[in-house]
Amino acid sequence: MDEFQEILQDFLIESFELVEKLDEDLVELESNPEDLELLNGIFRVAHTVKGASSFLNFDVLTHLTHHMEDVLNKARHGELIITPDIMDVILESIDLMKALLTTIRDTSADGGIDVAACVSKLDKISGGSGDVKGPAVVEAEPEQEQEKAPEVVEKTPSEDEPDYDNMSPDDLEAEIERLLQERQAEDKQKREAKIAAGESVVSLEPDDAAKEEPAPQPVAKTPVPVTPTPAPAAKEAPKGDAKAAAPAKKAATVEQTIRVDVKRLDHLMNLIGELVLAKNRLIKINDDVEERYEGEEFLEELNQVVSIVSLVTTDLQIAVMKTRMLPIGKVFNKFPRMIRDLTRELNKKMELKISGEETELDKSIVEEVGDPLVHIIRNSCDHGIEIPEVRVAAGKDETGTIKLKAYNEGNQIVIQIDDDGKGLDADMLKAKSVEKGLITLSEADAMSDKEAFSLIFKPGFSTAATVTNVSGRGVGMDVVKTNIEKVNGIIDIESEVGVGTSMKLKIPLTLAIIQALLVGVQEEHYAIPLASVLETVRISKDEIYTVEGRSVMRLREEVLSLVHIGDIFEVERILDSSEHAYVVVLGLGTQKLGLIVDTLVGQEEIVIKSLGDYLKGIEGVAGATIRGDGGVTLIVDVVALMDIAKNVKSTVMTESSSAAQLTLEKSKASDYCVMIVDDSKTDRTIMRKALEPMGITLVEAADGQEALNILKAGDHNFDAMLVDIEMPRMDGYTLATEIKKYNRYKNLPLIAVTSRTGKSDRMRGVESGMVEYITKPYSADYLSSVVQRNVNFKSEFL
Amino acid sequence: MSDKLKQIISKQGQQQDNDGLNHSDDVVQLVGFIIGEEEYAVPILAIQEIIKPFPWTRVPQVPKYVVGVFNMRGAVIPLIDLRLKFGLSALKQGDETRFIVMRHGDDIAGFVIDRLTMAIRIKKTDIGPAPDTINGDDTMIDGVGKQEDRIITILKVNKLLERDF
Repeated sequence: MDEFQEILQDFLIESFELVEKLDEDLVELESNPEDLELLNGIFRVAHTVKGASSFLNFDVLTHLTHHMEDVLNKARHGELIITPDIMDVILESIDLMKALLTTIRDTSADGGIDVAACVSKLDKISGGSGDVKGPAVVEAEPEQEQEKAPEVVEKTPSEDEPDYDNMSPDDLEAEIERLLQERQAEDKQKREAKIAAGESVVSLEPDDAAKEEPAPQPVAKTPVPVTPTPAPAAKEAPKGDAKAAAPAKKAATVEQTIRVDVKRLDHLMNLIGELVLAKNRLIKINDDVEERYEGEEFLEELNQVVSIVSLVTTDLQIAVMKTRMLPIGKVFNKFPRMIRDLTRELNKKMELKISGEETELDKSIVEEVGDPLVHIIRNSCDHGIEIPEVRVAAGKDETGTIKLKAYNEGNQIVIQIDDDGKGLDADMLKAKSVEKGLITLSEADAMSDKEAFSLIFKPGFSTAATVTNVSGRGVGMDVVKTNIEKVNGIIDIESEVGVGTSMKLKIPLTLAIIQALLVGVQEEHYAIPLASVLETVRISKDEIYTVEGRSVMRLREEVLSLVHIGDIFEVERILDSSEHAYVVVLGLGTQKLGLIVDTLVGQEEIVIKSLGDYLKGIEGVAGATIRGDGGVTLIVDVVALMDIAKNVKSTVMTESSSAAQLTLEKSKASDYCVMIVDDSKTDRTIMRKALEPMGITLVEAADGQEALNILKAGDHNFDAMLVDIEMPRMDGYTLATEIKKYNRYKNLPLIAVTSRTGKSDRMRGVESGMVEYITKPYSADYLSSVVQRNVNFKSEFL
Repeated sequence: MSDKLKQIISKQGQQQDNDGLNHSDDVVQLVGFIIGEEEYAVPILAIQEIIKPFPWTRVPQVPKYVVGVFNMRGAVIPLIDLRLKFGLSALKQGDETRFIVMRHGDDIAGFVIDRLTMAIRIKKTDIGPAPDTINGDDTMIDGVGKQEDRIITILKVNKLLERDF
């Protein structure tokens, strides 16, 4: 019934539109009776309405339109000249048609209007006797949908037998359709007649009246009151009431719609975008004014206005966005059929359960998700659901279930596709990918199950042993990923072997306006779509480690790769910021990446603008937006950023630390700072004595651990370290290795001072990052010259 | 009815042709500007507007001469420094620096120029072809205009707006 309702909706919308047009055309036709183009157009309208109404079992409407069609057909073929008299009848019939359509809209049935008179007039015009009986349900009540016009039974075919020879193929087809229709109606009535026994012989009388009254009937009489005459209502009361409830509820209320060119909506959306920008600007100005004139009375008023404007703008934006929304059902509708076909093709038993089809999504996005869903569902059918025997053996229901549902989650819509098939086998996926050369063995080992699942999106990946019609070319899932990412969506896969797979597509509601996190690096700002931001953390720069030339940090239990936004966007780093940095943790499906930025500016609603043809395709930039101050801010393309990040060398802090060293101009000898790390107090004193004459600042530590703590505390900016090798708690090698993990100490000269003289000791020293190797005993001059050399001691301080 | 319409359309077409003959056929209107030492010009109809410099935003991964993007009444427009594009050294923007926003079809961009000279009306017959040494389709030069003692290089707007990286 729901499907029927939908078709009915479409039919009504279409018919009303056609009829609207028809009126205009007919009026023009009257002044221009020879215009074949117009006649053809009008004829087609009648024909279309007839075809659709017969399909929908609206017999009265079909009957009427059929005769209209006859007349118009004759006129079209030049057998009939449209005189004003004839036009009157045609117009009358059109009015009737409108009335019928209205009745259908209100009650889902086409009873209640007497068309017999008009039909007979039409018939006369088209050369018939005028004595036509139709399936007219003169007294009909809305509920009579089920008891479809029993009168038809009495209809004698001869009475309005059209001349088949004169018919165009179209007409013939329509006529056949109509006859079939009548036949079905008859059968139905016979059946019902049996059930209803005597009861349903209701309408003999009125029908007879129509028959005996071929004389013109005043048009005014046509919209017969819809309220049923008491008699039949009483007669039918027992079952009529029960049935009446249902159709009445479902009464096809035509959505009051107008069709609007998408371009106009886009334009409207652009204007709203401008308004949002202006709103942001207003808020910014308001903040500035508030700061400057704190406590002034007018501020409150200004505040009110600003908040009203911003509220209304937001509402307006939502309202316009809604006009662009379509239910996702438009996409879902094609899947039951697809599953049915696949069931046959694959010899599997499958069932599709759809829910949430009324969830709405921006039109442009609805268009983008269709293809990915096809691929995902096909994939579930082909790879997910097992053949019935296997399922039974595994103790599952023979019929596999695929659930397709959509729901809203915050600012996103989630489309979830669950199957209860065999699930994804992470190890198998890894093995396949390695075999196909998509990943290396070591990459495979390092992968979590979730990351392994997302391997199915790699281009060229397919687990299917053979390429079938359905899947196995290794293209489909790649398409899924590309398309979903195109609309800023993300895909999340969960799967358990033997239990099933669940895929979630998370898609933003709209493409034009998004929430973004604004970040700063040096003097520049960038906007990151908030949907991809998992969290932000403030870290001290010591927390950044280097592993295999890449910067990483520890975030709770995870190791997070880091990349500096400046390295991606080629930002010149002139000013070095503080000891602290912010890390924006970006998440895209299973991938995570930490983006180091200098400052977090805040969250803002931004309007995405294209950079235009000239600058399209800049890696890492998704577009631009205009900020409250009128400036342009680039929007980060998180998907591309993840890719770029893989190839960015860890320059994270080295540049800045060398820059920091340069900026810290040494103006006196005591600006130099050297740490002495030795467990022996005597040795420390010897070194101190040797270096003191230079006038440099000396800091002592008794072992590696203490040295590390002093370094981390950051109270001093060390230019070099003298490190003993043999120490309790932490030895010199370990200390050196630890120190080198910090980017900012990468270039800190470490000088080993030790009594170990073996070659292998020296080797280890070099390996752990020592730059000099001094063996005890040494002369004071030698030590100080080595230190001077390593800290670039300026000779003027000597 | 449609015949009438056709007549009208054809009449209009003729009128336009006549207009063309009367005016724009022998005179071109250009806007002249200086970059480095040279005077250049572009057709006045290709110019959307000429504005004083204002802040722009740097864009990564583009050649040096694409200095960034700027906001022109809500549209994000690329900004190209013609000094750098023509291989000259960068110069600090001064009082006379202007952005010329040019449009060709859907392509639009702003160009940084050193200073404006004037609007020029020049006879077509006074415009010579680009020097032989730089012909071919690749050249940005449409022709060379001679006016009194000056020589003005006329640029092809579509070439200026073409992305070449």
